Amino acid sequence: MAALGRAQRLSLLLRSLLVQASWNYRTMQGAGLGYALIPALARLYRGDRSALAKSLRRHCGFFNAHPYLSTVAIAALARMESEGADSEQVERFKRAIVSPLGSLGDRLVWARWRPLCSLLAFFIFLLGAPWWIAVGVFLASYNAVHLWLRVWGLRLGWREGREVGRALMGSPLRRLPDRLTIPLAAVSGALVPLLALAIGGTAGVGPLFTIGIALALAVAGYGRPGLAGRVAVLGLLFGSLAFVILGTFVW
Amino acid sequence: MLGGLTGADSVSFAQAMISRPIVAAPLAGLLLGDPISGMWAGAVLEILSLRQLPIGASRGWDTGPAAVAAAAAAVVWTTGPSATLVAVAFGVVVGWAGSWSVHGLRHLNARLVAGDAGALDSPTRLTTLHLSALALDLLRAAGLTGAVLMCVVLLAGVIGETAPAWAGTVAALVVLSVASLGIGVDVRMMARGRRVWRAAGVGAALGLVIGLWLL
Repeated sequence: MAALGRAQRLSLLLRSLLVQASWNYRTMQGAGLGYALIPALARLYRGDRSALAKSLRRHCGFFNAHPYLSTVAIAALARMESEGADSEQVERFKRAIVSPLGSLGDRLVWARWRPLCSLLAFFIFLLGAPWWIAVGVFLASYNAVHLWLRVWGLRLGWREGREVGRALMGSPLRRLPDRLTIPLAAVSGALVPLLALAIGGTAGVGPLFTIGIALALAVAGYGRPGLAGRVAVLGLLFGSLAFVILGTFVW
Repeated sequence: MLGGLTGADSVSFAQAMISRPIVAAPLAGLLLGDPISGMWAGAVLEILSLRQLPIGASRGWDTGPAAVAAAAAAVVWTTGPSATLVAVAFGVVVGWAGSWSVHGLRHLNARLVAGDAGALDSPTRLTTLHLSALALDLLRAAGLTGAVLMCVVLLAGVIGETAPAWAGTVAALVVLSVASLGIGVDVRMMARGRRVWRAAGVGAALGLVIGLWLL
């Protein structure tokens, strides 16, 4: 098995940034996976165009995973190819790895890390920091984990190859979403009175009144999320429409 | 250009989250001369869009162009104290329209992938196909943002800019209500249970103390 060189690893990593560029309802990230694997496959099948074409085609079938953790699959598939895995093994591996990568990435990144960074940035802004510091904190903290996940995935996938599913099961990352729940809830809770005070201040309404309303509505949103989500969006749309009509024709 | 970049960032390229409203809206506001108005519109839009998780084939609001539109509306329409309210609502409508354009692009990509079977055998042709899809997404988002910004400019002279004092209070309370409901929904969608209640309660108490101290 020839180890991937630094240039190939960097190329796989950079191409993983584009894994969803041709996302579609038929093969989802399939073509993106093939695109990301091109440097590794081209090196492996140098001088054998038909083997390269055959290999590329089998990677362009259906595939979908969390984009940041797609590097796990990309590196593991590169290693399997270098070990001479056949089409059936590759297909079986791809089918098996889709769910664990999707589930881990969705819970960790979309459902915990991204909201935590967003709400933290807003919290910092409400504390009085300049807007660009809040935005900078969001981008820096979020992308530090984002890029680390891509590099970690690439290393794990190459090291474990077809056994990467087992390695993922034992990974400490699986427990991380639960650990991020408490900070996420705490930051969300802290945001409510700060927001009430900031908006109440501009509206000229007493702080106790706005804090009371905000806390009551946040609790209502938690208790009935489906209804509250619809009420929030409809209230926003109809409220703003009323303001536009009154502002244009009446006031 | 910012609309195109933020539109592509959300799915096609990198997902570095410059497409999030809390980033894209103040940046758009900065380009238009008022990043603070952009930040407020973006923050409320962010709270409302956090619960939309891009899992599988789901598609939420196209937050990049939505945030640019919201920031532009907040800065250009200057609807007085109701600016944030109107801007966020406008952003929601644009985000919803953007999600339909993403839906169309995904069907187009499916046709591209299925239609050029030979491309899947050749590294060069696969690269061309893949990067063409990226370019289409950039164009889609830039076109949508351009059209929306044109609407903002055209409506600028039409939408009223004055309002009685009480209207400002009502608008602020509507924004606060929408954001508070949104925060509650976001927490519930991410996690639930007694531990969450406790942590949120401690956070709220801490936020109250800090807020009153800052007053």
